[in-house]
Amino acid sequence: MMDFIDLILEPLQEMLLRFKAFLPNLLAMLVIVGIGLLLAKLLRAILLKFLAAVGFDSWSDRMGFTTLMRKGDLWVKPSVVVGAVAFWMLVIVTLMVGLSALRVAAIDSLVGEFFSYLPRVFSAAMILLIGYVVSGFVSRAVLIAAANAGFHYAKLLGEVIRALLMLMILAMVMEQLQIATSIVLAAFSITFGGVVVALAIAFGVGGIGAARRIIEREIAEEKPQEKQDDIEHI
Amino acid sequence: MDTVTFRAEVQGQIEEAGRADIVVGIPSFNSAHTIGHVVRAAQAGLAKYFPEHRAVIVNSDGGSSDGTMEVVRNTSIADFDAILLHHRISPVSRMAFPYSGIPGKGSAFRAIFEVARMLDAQACVVIDSDLRSITPEWIELLVKPVLSGGFDYVAPLYHRHKFDGTITNSIVYPLTRALYGKRVRQPIGGDFGFSGKLAQFYLTKEVWDSDVARFGIDIWMTTTAIANGFKVAQSFLGAKIHDAKDPGADLGDMLYQVVSATFELMEGYADAWGPVRGSEPVPIFGFEYTVGLEHVNVNTARMLKVFREGLVNLREIWMDILGAGDLQEVERLGKAGDGEFRFPTGLWARIVYDYAIAFHQRKLSREHLIKSLLPLYMGKTAAFVIEVEPLAQHEAEEAVERLCLDFENGKDYLLARWK
Repeated sequence: MMDFIDLILEPLQEMLLRFKAFLPNLLAMLVIVGIGLLLAKLLRAILLKFLAAVGFDSWSDRMGFTTLMRKGDLWVKPSVVVGAVAFWMLVIVTLMVGLSALRVAAIDSLVGEFFSYLPRVFSAAMILLIGYVVSGFVSRAVLIAAANAGFHYAKLLGEVIRALLMLMILAMVMEQLQIATSIVLAAFSITFGGVVVALAIAFGVGGIGAARRIIEREIAEEKPQEKQDDIEHI
Repeated sequence: MDTVTFRAEVQGQIEEAGRADIVVGIPSFNSAHTIGHVVRAAQAGLAKYFPEHRAVIVNSDGGSSDGTMEVVRNTSIADFDAILLHHRISPVSRMAFPYSGIPGKGSAFRAIFEVARMLDAQACVVIDSDLRSITPEWIELLVKPVLSGGFDYVAPLYHRHKFDGTITNSIVYPLTRALYGKRVRQPIGGDFGFSGKLAQFYLTKEVWDSDVARFGIDIWMTTTAIANGFKVAQSFLGAKIHDAKDPGADLGDMLYQVVSATFELMEGYADAWGPVRGSEPVPIFGFEYTVGLEHVNVNTARMLKVFREGLVNLREIWMDILGAGDLQEVERLGKAGDGEFRFPTGLWARIVYDYAIAFHQRKLSREHLIKSLLPLYMGKTAAFVIEVEPLAQHEAEEAVERLCLDFENGKDYLLARWK
């Protein structure tokens, strides 16, 4: 009978011993997560004050980030979004560090993978941010130059340039995040190539009439104006 | 303060010259076929009006490939007796060298200022190398107010065709006059006289990597002189006729360099222009006379096309800069036919002020911001041409005067928004 009771108690005792051994790890995790959450909140508050001091929201307005957010139905200030992103990044990192304190082999490998993936997330975010700014700048430069040259489709041209650049940047981001790399590459090649071929066909074959009309209109507008400008602007 | 470093041979020439009372600077780039006339006029002017003064002619060249510097070195007046009767002829040194720095008129001027400083010049003159209408009297008119009148800066006063100088007439002159309160009619004329003291003051400024090094130099020199309290005068030089313009010169770039330099100066001298109200005339030297001016062809239809295309394509950018009220007025203009197209002067003054404020608040990249002004400027220029075409020269000048008064009256609008 005693043997039978021992058979029942032994695993329980072992579990109790393991739990006792595990308890400090659990406490360490809770402390890490608790402190991490507090730090994340503190850093968010500091970041918000810093962004307000450097006029980040006005800069975002100028760069078009605010407009982009509004299009995505996001109505808070850009600085609040940056603060929230930073906060949740810190929370996730804290959770990962806390989980690693449990010293469970399976969790350890998961945490290891997470941290090795982080640089990719960071570089993808940088590519996206810089790419967005550059595409906006380039498309606006094209728009203004074309409008100043009196080109009727300047706005369309600027938008096409922006879309193509963003497409290229998104493909770079996906490639960086290693999300369906081969599919993204193929999709990008097909889409980008498709756009170019479509434009070529549109102007070369399909849109030959429209292309002729556009060219004729441009020529017709220029033709009667043989009068040259002798004006000195300075 | 960075100083200009000259090549050993140029340094030797400067040391050989020792000192000079007058320095005549001629910035150039591929002007071999016109610079000879300019050098001869300068030589004759110096010989005729300043025979007792030591003078040096300095050609600061931008790397010409057509032998401009050789023309300067070899040009001399063969027969002074044909020009002079009793005056003693004092030899005039000449030096020609390529300047260093950003390619542009401003970098060329900087080298001239440096030579003037090294030669301890009392008076300096800068004149364009492509002038066809320059006479020896220009040298007298630009130098004498400095040497004898106690003035530090002499701006030119020309008779120009009523259609010419539209960036000056519609932006730079009214804006500078309203801001700093001095009626300098040709603030970016290109040919100036100034004291050695002012040349040295210019050299203390660290602006040589900006648009001042290019087309912005003229407005920078004028504004710096006015805003820092130097004594300013104007000299009537007659007609300004120069070589045919470079067809490759882009209007957008010119507008950008001049306007960005003007707006940049507004930033630096906000304390100087803030309290100024109204404007006062600046002393004028020289005998004013009427000159015959060549006909100027203007294609207003093409200008209005650029304006209307800007209205279609740049609406969002203009909305951000001008605001809904003024944009609505601009849109209304777009609906008018070519013949009855007019640009209200009050609206134009507000537009220029709105752009200055947007520049100050960095609403867009500076180049994009100012280049987006071009279609509006085209519209304003076309409207001016249509308006003054049937008018006489002096009546066209009255139209410019009305615009200036609108700039002066609208200054509170600028101040209220300038934070």
